Amino acid sequence: MSDEREPSSDVSRRRFLAVLGTTSAGAVALSGCSTERVEKLIPYLVQSEDQVPGIPTWYASTCTECSAGCGLHVRVREGRPVKLEGNPEHPINKGALCARGQAGLQGLYNPGRVRAPMVKQGGAWKEISWDDAIALLAQKIGAAGGKLAVITGAGRGTFSSFLGDWTSAAGGRVVRYQPFDLEPVRAANARVFGRDEIPAYDFAAAKYIVSFGADFLETFGSSTEYQLAYADAHGFTPGREAAKHVYFAPRASLTGLNADEWHAVVPGSETSLALAMAGVLLQQRGGSVPGMPSVSVDDAAKATGLSAETITRLAKEFASASPSLAVAGGIGSQTAGATELCAAVNLLNFAAGNVGQTVRFGADLDHGDGFGALEALSKSMASGEVEVVLVQEANPVFTAPRATKFAESLGKVPFKVSTALYFDETAAASDLLLPSHHALERWDDLNARNGVWGLMQPVLTPVFNTMAPGDILLKTAQKAGGSLAKFSAASWEDQLKSTWQARFPGGDAMWRAALARGGVYQDAVVVPVTLASTDVTAAAAALEGTGEFTLLPYASSHYFDGRGANRPWLAENPDPVTKITWQSWVELSPEAAARLNVREGEILKVTSPHGSVEAAAYIYPGLRADVIAMPLGLGHTELGEFAKGRGVNYLDLLGPVSGAFIPYVSVKVQVERTPAYRKVAKTEGNTRQLGRGIAEAMPLVHAEQGLTLEQSAKAAGHPAHEINTPRELEALQGWREGQVGREDGQGRRLGNYVGEHAMWGMAVDLSRCTGCSACVTACYAENNIAWVGEDQVLRGREMSWMRIERYWEGGFDGEPIEARFVPLMCQHCDNAPCEPVCPVYAAYHTPDGLNGQVYNRCVGTRYCANNCPYKVRYFNWLAYNKKAFPEPLNLQLNPDVTVRARGVMEKCTFCVQRIRVAQHVAKLEDRALRDGDVVTACQQACPSRAITFGDMHDPGSAVLKVKESPRGYHILEEINVRPAVTYLAKVLRREPVAHAAAGGEEQH
Amino acid sequence: MRKSAWITLAACAAAIIAIAAAGRPSGAQQPSGPVGVVLTASDSAAFKGPRQPVYFRHDVHSGQYKISCQYCHYSAAVSNEPGIPSMQTCMGCHLIIGGADSANQLQIALVRESWNTKKPIEWVRVHSLARHVHFPHSQHIKAMGPNACATCHGDVSRMPQVYKVNNINNMGWCINCHLARNVNRDCTACHY
Repeated sequence: MSDEREPSSDVSRRRFLAVLGTTSAGAVALSGCSTERVEKLIPYLVQSEDQVPGIPTWYASTCTECSAGCGLHVRVREGRPVKLEGNPEHPINKGALCARGQAGLQGLYNPGRVRAPMVKQGGAWKEISWDDAIALLAQKIGAAGGKLAVITGAGRGTFSSFLGDWTSAAGGRVVRYQPFDLEPVRAANARVFGRDEIPAYDFAAAKYIVSFGADFLETFGSSTEYQLAYADAHGFTPGREAAKHVYFAPRASLTGLNADEWHAVVPGSETSLALAMAGVLLQQRGGSVPGMPSVSVDDAAKATGLSAETITRLAKEFASASPSLAVAGGIGSQTAGATELCAAVNLLNFAAGNVGQTVRFGADLDHGDGFGALEALSKSMASGEVEVVLVQEANPVFTAPRATKFAESLGKVPFKVSTALYFDETAAASDLLLPSHHALERWDDLNARNGVWGLMQPVLTPVFNTMAPGDILLKTAQKAGGSLAKFSAASWEDQLKSTWQARFPGGDAMWRAALARGGVYQDAVVVPVTLASTDVTAAAAALEGTGEFTLLPYASSHYFDGRGANRPWLAENPDPVTKITWQSWVELSPEAAARLNVREGEILKVTSPHGSVEAAAYIYPGLRADVIAMPLGLGHTELGEFAKGRGVNYLDLLGPVSGAFIPYVSVKVQVERTPAYRKVAKTEGNTRQLGRGIAEAMPLVHAEQGLTLEQSAKAAGHPAHEINTPRELEALQGWREGQVGREDGQGRRLGNYVGEHAMWGMAVDLSRCTGCSACVTACYAENNIAWVGEDQVLRGREMSWMRIERYWEGGFDGEPIEARFVPLMCQHCDNAPCEPVCPVYAAYHTPDGLNGQVYNRCVGTRYCANNCPYKVRYFNWLAYNKKAFPEPLNLQLNPDVTVRARGVMEKCTFCVQRIRVAQHVAKLEDRALRDGDVVTACQQACPSRAITFGDMHDPGSAVLKVKESPRGYHILEEINVRPAVTYLAKVLRREPVAHAAAGGEEQH
Repeated sequence: MRKSAWITLAACAAAIIAIAAAGRPSGAQQPSGPVGVVLTASDSAAFKGPRQPVYFRHDVHSGQYKISCQYCHYSAAVSNEPGIPSMQTCMGCHLIIGGADSANQLQIALVRESWNTKKPIEWVRVHSLARHVHFPHSQHIKAMGPNACATCHGDVSRMPQVYKVNNINNMGWCINCHLARNVNRDCTACHY
């Protein structure tokens, strides 16, 4: 293979070695083959005791990608973090980690980071020393005379308290601002229960889950935690009553697509629906909530557009389940009346007796001060009351709608300081940049909820010339003196440690234990609440404008508030719902598209009273006809090379904000066609299964009876589906034995396929999988998969070894639309079609049941990909490895996995590197491999615990147990390739739509 | 963990005593090998193998003083990677041992200088595998014992300057051995 001599990506490749770096240095004579490069071996001066070359060291830390505060395990090789995984001990995420959390690593090594302190002089940035930068800040704060404001995006913890103390000592004020802050949820709780907090939701205990637009599987609150619990409650486990999930919102988000019923209600009408449901529930159970506004089912039906029967049926189902759970407060349902909706849902939960059961107060999940506080500060800044503003890990210039004129207000502040990690829009508008350490580079903590304190520790020497924000504050205080002189700690590390030792008993032992476990975890005390108010306005809030569509911007599950936009892993990982990569898009329903005569990819001009944007159309069946939806998070003017100028920012369409939160659903828009066209860079192929039986499903009753798919189809009256004819089966007799026992004619076995071997296999439970795509990012991170960018995705050249297919079912003749998600990776077929067609034996079968791909043998004929029925082989057309890992992103590369060169076919290996390492460790410890020793990257990350992996020759293995489920099937079983991946059919809480009929035919 | 052992006083003392017992180090006392005289750095060009920035003599350390390979290359037995000894490992002994004659003193002074100026010595790599091959050192030591190193690296205890004895980057070299011992020849044992 040409790899060896290709220059570039020096640290990349197979190993960083026991070397700090390998450089191709000048002409030093070398014995032996003269074509080899001269490499230098540079030893450590003093080797760290916890770093052994070639062996990963794991550090516990805490994720800061959203306010949930999941626990991390950071895999460090030779001093560089190479993978983030969930901390199994952590009470919030229990070992799982979402795509955004994993991409935190690309935040650490992001080329868009601010690399050194800089000051703006005459409009240009000039690098300065830390001492000068801090002296400048100290001088400005001294001169500001208390006219100081701080905007921070940091989570609640020791730092945020310190920042509060520091700022008030300097006479200023702090606004803790986090976008998507769930202000309506808190306001409603304050009103109805007298507690201004976000409660803990127990999805696992709920027997019936109703979501009023709360996207709890993607962006609402602590989504990884909710997803773990949701999969337990809603996934199918024999002998356990599975929860039903109903979703009310104008648009089916990922959460909506996982619901058993999605009802497309009129935007803003959910409040009356919740109240009507509460009324029916009280009627059925015979209770009452004094003072609760009464909304009749008929009124609710009129408001929502649902039928009265549907509302009554769902309300009665909800009333019959106990405990149940109703949630509200998602971005896509955040109208100006969102607080009313949340209050109505509070009453519904209260009436159902869920408060204290599945809705538990006392945990007080972390949140900021809300948008109202930022808006108030913005007004002060505009009126010249602020001399110095310090923005810390927040990007309000981007996340506040343009109409709020935050940027203009900020511009009126004479001296603006940013401690941003990345050169974002707010940093660009500053005068002084004091770049912070990334969370993996510094000491810090996070009090994500009462009782849960997560710790962070530096796991590498800082990538750039940055400083911990705590140290910036301490040094500035010591330089400025005066009222700040009391902050005299020698370093932020000292201060954090002493704060912890004062907070928890146990001294040094406690500290070390907390570091090892990732923090201190206690259960929050559940606080009983009483009804303080039943005041709810059921009427929907008025929308601004006269357009024919209601604009529904929603939080993107990958980009979140925009911070993920500069991370190629998140941009390349298709949106779980639309499967679009890299671009912005406008979703409109098939009805609306037909009416406007719009086809996918046509550029639409969307105009609101406050502005207009243009983006390509995507026709999405999970949407009301009078609504258009758009994902937030793109349209950056700064932030880095992968984000700048990509897509559009739909916040530009929103109006000024008067309340305490941004009413994302508040304007009506006009949609016009333009002559322009831009092909949508999506990875979805045919959206229908066309009777191929790829994503199978069966009704709940059949699953409970333990029927197989075949029996289920028969019981449902579908014609029997013959997989193999008896003659085919006869022909198969002994085929495997014939293959594995081949001899070379001299009595020698070819290879050693007959000895004792593992037989690796995987099972994927589609009743648990939500399609969230965390596994996809895990696969990119573990296997050094190169992202290819928009233009290559448009040519179908994405390299995602693991992808999530999303197929539509139904949707015709009044049938509800249903999404089926299938994680598709190499199936490691026993009778693999790719293997015999490889002219150079690069694709071959290993003794332990893997479909091996030997990169150095591969000559790139691509016959194997042509012959793969699952299309899971990916060809490296253009040396993607050279483009995908620009400095310092290359530091993330997993040294255990070859970085593939151009012209080589690659695909899922079942994480063979993890298998081999586990085998090596077992051998060194003189023991056999145990079940659970090998955990693939996708399995590890999965927040639904849908994936099981193990040795099928081990009779006690977990994977074998799952594979024995009657719901098990193989994709494309009839072609007899004998996949090693078994899928467990999705379980429907209604009759399955016959996949071979209706939907499929009409597509032809 | 175990690494701290090799910088303990006990280990140093043992090594120093061993060297002291061996008497004055000089080329003349080496076991039979290609070396017969005391060599200086400038001479080492005459030997096989790339010249190193410091004329580190495996024949003295490993051959004459019988220091085990894994005293310095400690991670070879526990990890895929053999590692390269840290400067601290060198200084564990050479803080005290300064060399008996001017030629040795000169070289040891280079080591001390590197330590004092915190600039690690940049060794020239002799054995290097293609990046699509994974060679687990620990498995081979586990299977063949602690003295298995010479199988691939040659008898470095007789090399004043290390050179490549076997073409380890040729897959046939690996496979011949695996055939002879009838052990795993699966491609994905090494290539992934």
